[in-house]
Amino acid sequence: MTNQLEAAVLVAVLFGAGLYLCLSRRLLRVLFGFLMVSNAANLVLIAISGDPTGKRAAVVGADAPAGVVPVDPLPQALILTAIVIGFAVAAYLTVLVYRLYTDRGTANVTTLFNCETPGGAAAKEDAT
Amino acid sequence: MRFFETPANLAALPVIFPILIGLISLLMPRPSVWRRVIAAVASAALLAHACWIVWHSMDSGPLVLRVGGWLSPYGIVLVADTLAGIMLALSAFTALSCLLFGYAETETREEHPLRIPLLLFLLGGINLTFVTGDLFNLFVAFEVMLLSSYGLMTLESGARESRQALPYLTLNLVGSALFLAVAGFAYSLLGTLNFAEMIVRTDALAGDYRLTLLAVLMLLVFGLKAGLFPLYQWLPGSYSQMPAPMSAFYAGMLTKVGVYVLIRIFGTVLPPSLTELHTLIAWTAGLTMVIGVLGAVGQMRVQTILSYHIVSQIGFMALAIGLFTPFAITAAIFYIIHHIIVKSALFLVGGSIAKLNGTDDLSRTGGLWRAAPWLGIAFVLQAMSLAGLPPLSGFWGKFMIIQEGFTQGEWVLIALSLVASILTLMSMLKIWLGAFWKAAPEGTPIHASTRTRVMTAVIVAMAAMSLYIGFGAEKFVRIAAHAAEETLNRAGYVANVNAANETSYPSKTPGASKP
Repeated sequence: MTNQLEAAVLVAVLFGAGLYLCLSRRLLRVLFGFLMVSNAANLVLIAISGDPTGKRAAVVGADAPAGVVPVDPLPQALILTAIVIGFAVAAYLTVLVYRLYTDRGTANVTTLFNCETPGGAAAKEDAT
Repeated sequence: MRFFETPANLAALPVIFPILIGLISLLMPRPSVWRRVIAAVASAALLAHACWIVWHSMDSGPLVLRVGGWLSPYGIVLVADTLAGIMLALSAFTALSCLLFGYAETETREEHPLRIPLLLFLLGGINLTFVTGDLFNLFVAFEVMLLSSYGLMTLESGARESRQALPYLTLNLVGSALFLAVAGFAYSLLGTLNFAEMIVRTDALAGDYRLTLLAVLMLLVFGLKAGLFPLYQWLPGSYSQMPAPMSAFYAGMLTKVGVYVLIRIFGTVLPPSLTELHTLIAWTAGLTMVIGVLGAVGQMRVQTILSYHIVSQIGFMALAIGLFTPFAITAAIFYIIHHIIVKSALFLVGGSIAKLNGTDDLSRTGGLWRAAPWLGIAFVLQAMSLAGLPPLSGFWGKFMIIQEGFTQGEWVLIALSLVASILTLMSMLKIWLGAFWKAAPEGTPIHASTRTRVMTAVIVAMAAMSLYIGFGAEKFVRIAAHAAEETLNRAGYVANVNAANETSYPSKTPGASKP
């Protein structure tokens, strides 16, 4: 495999920024953090496929130039699966954040875990 | 049927069957008695099938299925060996008990319509983690399992509890992304994700620092799923907030999936020469035991106390993995068998207490010894078993682990595990005194009914099962020893998977067999 420093740096930055956002108090930032972390993982997979410059696709017709190395197709199959799963999880997380907001009237983790009386739509229902 | 012509196809059944039944129950959108019966019969059938897998793999070796007929290092393989069979049997047993308990606890028409389908999907995902022989497929199995578990966790929670899903979700999301990256690193390092092929190639890399790094990352990912120190904080809050039968299933199975994968990865896939990592596992396990049990001291709710004890018990299993001899792995597997049944039963006891007293806060419960003596007897048996008193099942597990610790001279770890056991006993006494022995506080009615009696019957059946494990320990230790031997026999694993390449599967058009 060729030296792919730029891919490694990109993955490191995305993972770091994503984790920082996941540790944030605000739920929307957690959501964005998760999106960044999962895309960083996807980037790891695509980087393993190899440096694409000068390589041909894994499956080509008979007229392809001889002597050119093909790209490893397996990581691309893996990444497709991972993207689909990541999408489903992101959808779930979005719904959960929205639900927490409607339940408790806040999208901030500190108020979410500190106030004992819910202040959102559910509390209003209880009151009536 | 064509499906049954190849016996290896039966290795896929524990995955396909629950998902199929889950889909069928989705087609019946309203909760009905029929749906309940189908789900219970399905998990009973899975239990029987898993017992057959254990018998078959002890008798004539594991079942190996090449999915889609692809040759082994290229396609996905499913391997149902003794360890996988034991775990499949436990998951089916726990699912069956929790379903029956749930049936007794809630009326049919009050049941959430998505509870049974999601539980069955969860079961399918869990079972796939047990039978898979491929690292990326393991990732997919984890995701199937986790997505169902996220759904199930928030399904019936009110405004107060739904926030507890957040730490569970966030931590598992990061863990999943890390797992995906680890799978990528493994592929770039080894060029394969097939367990059998990974075994061959890691042997060639033994002593390479990159392999150690990969193993550390795997420990991080699976330690997170198992709830090892210091990655356990998500567990107590989230497990204690669910309805009792669901939290019992989670408590029994989900963290043990992490322990199973640790055994599989460190026992089978990675070479046994990674001794520094085994020491690391043993010491984190020691800390997990004590910190988990200390967390339980200040808690007043039954389910929260029990949740902290899961963390502590995970420490015992991980300690056995860290000691890493065939005897220690036997102890770990036996401990898993004992723990899953005892832990789910205790969570169900917690659910019964909440149903009888209207709360499971120990300052407001009481009087149950008089009102529900059978529940009390089942609780005492399971609690003493959890603490490790002879001759109950927990004693044998702890005895084997401590014996192995003596053999290896790990005095500090033995001391930690004994301290954890004594503190466990104290916690169990606290529940006993708070819920059963002391009189009910003024004005607390005890809601005993036919429903609570059926719930107690389910728990008593589970207690009887764990009594059987305690008194018939020799039989279970023999099965566990066989499973441990098979798990540590890496060459044998490769040989079994490669042997599956020799078998040809019947194809629809005769003569045109698949590669």
